[in-house]
Amino acid sequence: MSNMFSNLIMAVRGIGSNWLRTLLTMLGVLIGVASVIVLLAIGTGTSRSIENSIQALGSNTLTVFGSGGSGASTGTQIRNTNLNSASVSLISNANNAPDVQSVSPVITTSVTATNGSSTYTTSVIGSTPSYLVASNYTVSAGRSISTADVTSHSQVIDIGASVASGLFPVGSNPLGQQIELGSARFTIVGLLASKGSTGLTNADAVVIAPYTAVQDQLTGESQSFSELLIQGKSAATLSLAQSEVQSILAAQNDTTVAALPFNVLNQASLITTATSSSKTFTALLGWVAAVSLLVGAIGVMNIMLVTVTERTREIGIRKAIGARKSVVLTQFLIESTVISFMGGVLGAVAGIVVSRFTIAGVKPVLASYSIPLALGVALSVGIVAGFYPAYRAASLRPIDALRYE
Amino acid sequence: MILTRGGASRVAFDPGAPASLVEAPIIALSNIVKSYMMGGVEVLATRSVSLTVVRGEFVAVMGASGSGKSTLMNIIGCLDIPTSGHYSLDGVNIRNLDDQALSRIRNTKIGFVFQGFNLIPRMSALQNVELPMAYAGVKPKERRERAIVALRLVGLGSRLEHFSNELSGGQQQRVSIARAISTNPALILADEPTGNLDSRSSNELMALFTDLHRHGRTIVMITHENDIAEYASRVVELRDGSVIRDQRQRPRLPSVSSNTVTSSQDGDGSEV
Repeated sequence: MSNMFSNLIMAVRGIGSNWLRTLLTMLGVLIGVASVIVLLAIGTGTSRSIENSIQALGSNTLTVFGSGGSGASTGTQIRNTNLNSASVSLISNANNAPDVQSVSPVITTSVTATNGSSTYTTSVIGSTPSYLVASNYTVSAGRSISTADVTSHSQVIDIGASVASGLFPVGSNPLGQQIELGSARFTIVGLLASKGSTGLTNADAVVIAPYTAVQDQLTGESQSFSELLIQGKSAATLSLAQSEVQSILAAQNDTTVAALPFNVLNQASLITTATSSSKTFTALLGWVAAVSLLVGAIGVMNIMLVTVTERTREIGIRKAIGARKSVVLTQFLIESTVISFMGGVLGAVAGIVVSRFTIAGVKPVLASYSIPLALGVALSVGIVAGFYPAYRAASLRPIDALRYE
Repeated sequence: MILTRGGASRVAFDPGAPASLVEAPIIALSNIVKSYMMGGVEVLATRSVSLTVVRGEFVAVMGASGSGKSTLMNIIGCLDIPTSGHYSLDGVNIRNLDDQALSRIRNTKIGFVFQGFNLIPRMSALQNVELPMAYAGVKPKERRERAIVALRLVGLGSRLEHFSNELSGGQQQRVSIARAISTNPALILADEPTGNLDSRSSNELMALFTDLHRHGRTIVMITHENDIAEYASRVVELRDGSVIRDQRQRPRLPSVSSNTVTSSQDGDGSEV
């Protein structure tokens, strides 16, 4: 053990004899390791932000998009396949759909909201209180629209943060004020906490109102909803919930699940798809980084070959006074391993530091596996890249090595 | 003073005694041939050299360059294997030994002193002396103690932590002698030990060799200088790969004592 320790000291001293060269060699490994860590962090950060965007759509939700008319495209005699209040109450029945938490009918329209001279174009969602829960909206001030509001067709609204800042001056309180949506006046009863911008859509440019009021004032009376937002009990049972919902709708419309003219967007499968594509992306970045690590490894090997050549005479002396092949081999292997491992440690530090900054619009998220992975690779780089030079050193004949000038 | 007190007479000096019968020889070379292929032509570096060296001898191997003395030294030092012939070192037959076994033989039986000192840079005198013992597996504490003893013996007790580039040529050569004797080898093999030293350092070094000889060490020294060979108890001369002279002689007394070696360490003005 003490021999190992003195070997290590020897190696560090050998490395120290040519600091600049050693540092440059380390730099190769450093950059390789740092880029592995940073690029994996960017990959992870990207997939995390995609997941967040999808999460912003709601938690464990299914969205059923109505066809808005008949299922003529299937060629069968299906008339009037709508998403209506009957669909909502059928799905709400826990006996029919045990894995469904809530069903919210959704009517979407786009209006220009006016407050005095300020106008703001926003989407209006007519729904029920469960919509806010299912789509992860929280009320930061005031109250949510209520079931009573829905029943009484009350013209009350919760507004998103962008709508509030678009219509009201900074510092004023929009709560209790009235604004015009199109030509109808609605009273603001709640402010929604910001969800942030998720990709292309601004989740804060939204007004949520009771669907009854929206039908009364904006879209006109209709039997059908544009979509249903269904919240499942858990992510794991979301597929079960989906098949329950599809069976109910098929039964309601006297058709089969396959022939249903509705599109169902399953958030869980959306996440799965997005995750798998972002995993591919991350793996691609990882490979790019691995190439730079490979270049670093070649650098280590190159410098070790130079070192062995430079120290041929020393090797000759050592062998002449009794160093066995394995001793010389170990000595040079330790040297190359120390170089690349030090490079790896510095690279890990650099990678962690760089990952703290936002790069190309992505907030990198350090992948927990990337640091041990990069260090492990750096260590094996030292051993693999050092092996051939060390073997060459160990195989030198002392008589030739001693004569070497 | 030690040397003038009849020191030379203590050295076994009897050309007539059949030394090889008294004790098993340290070196027994018989009919050693070494040939190289050079540009497709076979060149004989040594042709049938036989030589026996017994314990306690101080042999100078002489010869001009190309005489085969370096080849002989490589073979004696187990750095090279003869093409044919028989060589046993301290009772061990050197033929048919692999790289590993040769390393062990060199490590335990031979102490090398090279012309170019061949200390390892970036290591202190002490570490250099410890190195062969480290390869032999001597425990750190013990090898440190033994290295200190060896360095004191060659008069470098106050230079333990100096690096080789901080030492003069004479001092470096004394470190390499300390390294050579630290493993207590059967044979000290010196290849032109004074080749890179000025005459004063050379004399001091030869005083040291004389001292080692008097303490019963077996020394084989390759040299081409007559006045250096005079310190030996036996001179073997090679020409064209063959022994042309082998005679015992009364060793020359050093002009300086080994006490001087110990005390003159700071005044050593040799340059390399």
